[in-house]
Amino acid sequence: MNTGQYISGAGHIGLIAWLLLGGLFTREPEPFEMTEVSVISGADFDALMAAARPPQSTTEVAQPAQPTEAPETPELTSEPDTDIRQPAPLPTDTPPEDTPPELAEQTPPPEAPVQDPPPDLAEPVGDVAVLAPDVAPEAAPRPVERVAPEPVAQPEPEATPDPVEQEAVTPDSTGEAVEQETQEATAPEEAVSEIVTEATAAPAASSRPPGRRPAAPAPRVAEAPTETVETPAPAASDPAPSVNNDDVLAALAAAQEAVAAPTPSGPPLSAGEKDALRVAVSQCWNIGALSSEAMETTVVIGVQMNRDGTPVIDTIRMLSSSGGSDAAVRSVFDSARRAIVRCGSRGYSLPEEKFSQWQNIEMTFDPRKMGF
Amino acid sequence: MKRLMISGLLVAALAVTACTNPDRFGADGTGAGLDANAGTTGGIIPGSANDPSSTAFFQQSIGDRVLFEVDQSTLTATGRATLDGQAQWLMTNSDYQAIIEGHADEQGTREYNLALGARRANAAQEYLISKGVPSSRLRVVSYGKERPIEICSNEACYAKNRRAVTVLAGGLTS
Amino acid sequence: MTRFLLSLCAGLALMFSAPAQAQEPLRIIIDEAIIEPLPFAAPAFQAESPAAGQMASDLASVVAADLIGTGLFREIPSSAYISTVNDFNAPVQYADWKAINAQALVTGAVNVQGNNLNVKFRLYDVFSGAELGSGLQFSGTVDGWRRMAHKVSDAVYARITGEGPYFDSRVVYVSETGPKDDRKKRLAIMDYDGANVQYLTDSGAIVLAPRFSPSGDRVLYTSYESGFPRIYVLDIGSVSRRVLESAEGTMSFAPRFSPSGQTVVYSLTQGGNTDIFQMDIASGQSVRLTNTPAIETAPSYSPDGSRIVFESDRSGTQQLYVMPATGGEAQRISFGEGRYGTPVWSPRGDLVAFTKQNKGRFHIGVMRLDGSQERLLTASFLDEGPTWAPNGRVIMFARETQGASGSSTLYSVDISGRNLRPVSTPSGGSDPSWSPLQK
Repeated sequence: MNTGQYISGAGHIGLIAWLLLGGLFTREPEPFEMTEVSVISGADFDALMAAARPPQSTTEVAQPAQPTEAPETPELTSEPDTDIRQPAPLPTDTPPEDTPPELAEQTPPPEAPVQDPPPDLAEPVGDVAVLAPDVAPEAAPRPVERVAPEPVAQPEPEATPDPVEQEAVTPDSTGEAVEQETQEATAPEEAVSEIVTEATAAPAASSRPPGRRPAAPAPRVAEAPTETVETPAPAASDPAPSVNNDDVLAALAAAQEAVAAPTPSGPPLSAGEKDALRVAVSQCWNIGALSSEAMETTVVIGVQMNRDGTPVIDTIRMLSSSGGSDAAVRSVFDSARRAIVRCGSRGYSLPEEKFSQWQNIEMTFDPRKMGF
Repeated sequence: MKRLMISGLLVAALAVTACTNPDRFGADGTGAGLDANAGTTGGIIPGSANDPSSTAFFQQSIGDRVLFEVDQSTLTATGRATLDGQAQWLMTNSDYQAIIEGHADEQGTREYNLALGARRANAAQEYLISKGVPSSRLRVVSYGKERPIEICSNEACYAKNRRAVTVLAGGLTS
Repeated sequence: MTRFLLSLCAGLALMFSAPAQAQEPLRIIIDEAIIEPLPFAAPAFQAESPAAGQMASDLASVVAADLIGTGLFREIPSSAYISTVNDFNAPVQYADWKAINAQALVTGAVNVQGNNLNVKFRLYDVFSGAELGSGLQFSGTVDGWRRMAHKVSDAVYARITGEGPYFDSRVVYVSETGPKDDRKKRLAIMDYDGANVQYLTDSGAIVLAPRFSPSGDRVLYTSYESGFPRIYVLDIGSVSRRVLESAEGTMSFAPRFSPSGQTVVYSLTQGGNTDIFQMDIASGQSVRLTNTPAIETAPSYSPDGSRIVFESDRSGTQQLYVMPATGGEAQRISFGEGRYGTPVWSPRGDLVAFTKQNKGRFHIGVMRLDGSQERLLTASFLDEGPTWAPNGRVIMFARETQGASGSSTLYSVDISGRNLRPVSTPSGGSDPSWSPLQK
């Protein structure tokens, strides 16, 4: 409490000093990393892009060609540089752009292959897809813009919703793989730099006004999970969005497993154990390709774990997000999912006797203090 | 005191320019005052630097340019002296028009330097007008940093590039 | 019925396992990460027609070059591939791509029929074993193949980064040849990556600072072809031009379009004093926006057209100011050490890019509109004239090198300050202006 006030006080004094003396110091701005960018730019930028983009969208090109992948589509006849913008661009309606994506992202991707095998019909289902929004016009040509049929058979990871089975698959394939290539080589370096950063208490963050970071009391929350009331997700499966068979099956599977191998809840994870997990995920969380807006976006991700410490890939889902546009949220989620899967491919180092403590994990991915 | 030194430097710079640009200033460009006297008295070759009504005389003996300090468009004492000579010449040779070109060194952004060059050309123009040259005979243009005469990237060159040059036009029939 | 039974079973199972299931999830906060380019693979696209062979690999190369050029991605060389893609519609062998740590995989197929080109692609998140979004396809002419590659790159880039696309764009700039004291300048236009350079003017007169119209079809620039600097507007399609402002005894320069494309804001110099004016293009009517004895120039509109950022030395040195687009009181926004010029409002509206001079060095930097969070992205003997990529993430500018043999080259830099790299042009270049995304 006191510490908080001190920090806050220091921050405010710093801010006031900056306001008064700002002109004297060139370097001043750096500490105040951009925190609010997302709020403004999200809407502005979207609007801007919407204005600038409409005719360009792929729909354009593809749309006139009604027949699926018609071989001789005369859409854009002449030299594109000048042509494309002049002729027909306007007819298309791009409005539906933004709406679908986030939902699409959240619904478990594997549903698509399972539920509807016929490739052409793919559009109505879960795969409604993320990239396609601007392609969305309901008009006839719809099927055209999708590239052809979905890959018919999804590879293994998708196919198995059952945690027990899957753990066998994932580690196998990646286990050998990882050793072959550079990944193994790079990991240690990352680890080193990571740890150093932590030890030094993340210098970049220190100068930020503390008030802006709700996540500050991190450790406390983690140690006393019962205090948090925010997320009403007692059940193992996806909470709100869906009530379909998959959920039931997932719940069933989870329940069965719990029954089959009853474990004592065991003591909570020690701070060190949690920290090890945090560091392990951090080492694979690469935010190098995130947009500046995404760097202001926080997502909370739920994942169920296998007893061997590997994540159940299909259970990785977004619980909530804050701060960015759909596109930003999506890219942060993707990057976080990659991190969980990639560094967990051989199993996170978690004490098996406390399995029930970490069977369900909620990870908050917060890139904000690493902004430019 | 400091100002004096700067002025001195400018004069020196002018002298150096003359020495290193014989094609531009003529072999005897450094003896401006003497030449002026010589020109009015001796055997005159029309159009040559010895002909006081020639553009060559204007460029070399009177001096067609004034220099400025960094980011300034205020005329220096040397500059005013040169412009006095130009005004006198223009009054005498009233058939000539002149375009005053303002320039800046490369140490500045393009747009700003255009505007700065315009200020310099304008300063020279207004001085000439104040000395009696009809404004109808004078036009100004700025080249900003687009037309340096010296191309090294240090003060010796910059000093010569920060200039307003009076370029004569017309009047060849006189 | 089945469903009901399942639900029932599940319910029972849940009851039995209640203690375990009620366990609160473990909560952790990940607020540290690594920042490095994302490794991706873009194997040669599939040629679906005999004529598409070369294009299939060229397209993949351009896509890879686009992504690498952002500095946000790293390509895994094909020599490392364990398996390759032989069928655009076959399931991806994720394990093979995981093994070489390809985190994103771009596959594509190309079909050429006569002069028609059709390109399809898909993007996969290898470690999640899933396709990212759904694939897209583009159709056009064979001549436009590079644009189609850029469109593929744009889709991939936007999906992975969350940033808006920008590869399918062009840049108009001043092409420069010759030594400093006899430099020849002409307008040129090219793809954002330096390909397809075309010249729009000859080198008979000095030309400066071309600026794209919001629709990308016209360019404003300054030319000395009359002997005095005047603003011209040039139609790119027809390469025809006309003078916009030609009042006798004045100079006009530093023009920029409003977001509507209907008005132009620019500098006009009269009697040695430079102020900012606005002109309605259709009527030619102009209005004065500033009226001070100071140098006021380099105006740039906000994306919504309501405000203008510009530079003025009214305080004694060049500084940045913001005023309403109709003129009126201006607020100074730059307060750091040194001089600030050539402000350009970002297309997102949140930042201003500028040229800063301090202690004999030039910088390209960005700051927020209230002047806070100034960040210098570059430093050199002479950097100047930033222009924004259409997505507001990348800045292009010109860097002049020192000395008698100095020349000017275009560079681009990420607004993080990373990934500074020269843009390849046939000769020197300056005053770049980035187009909006092409349509």
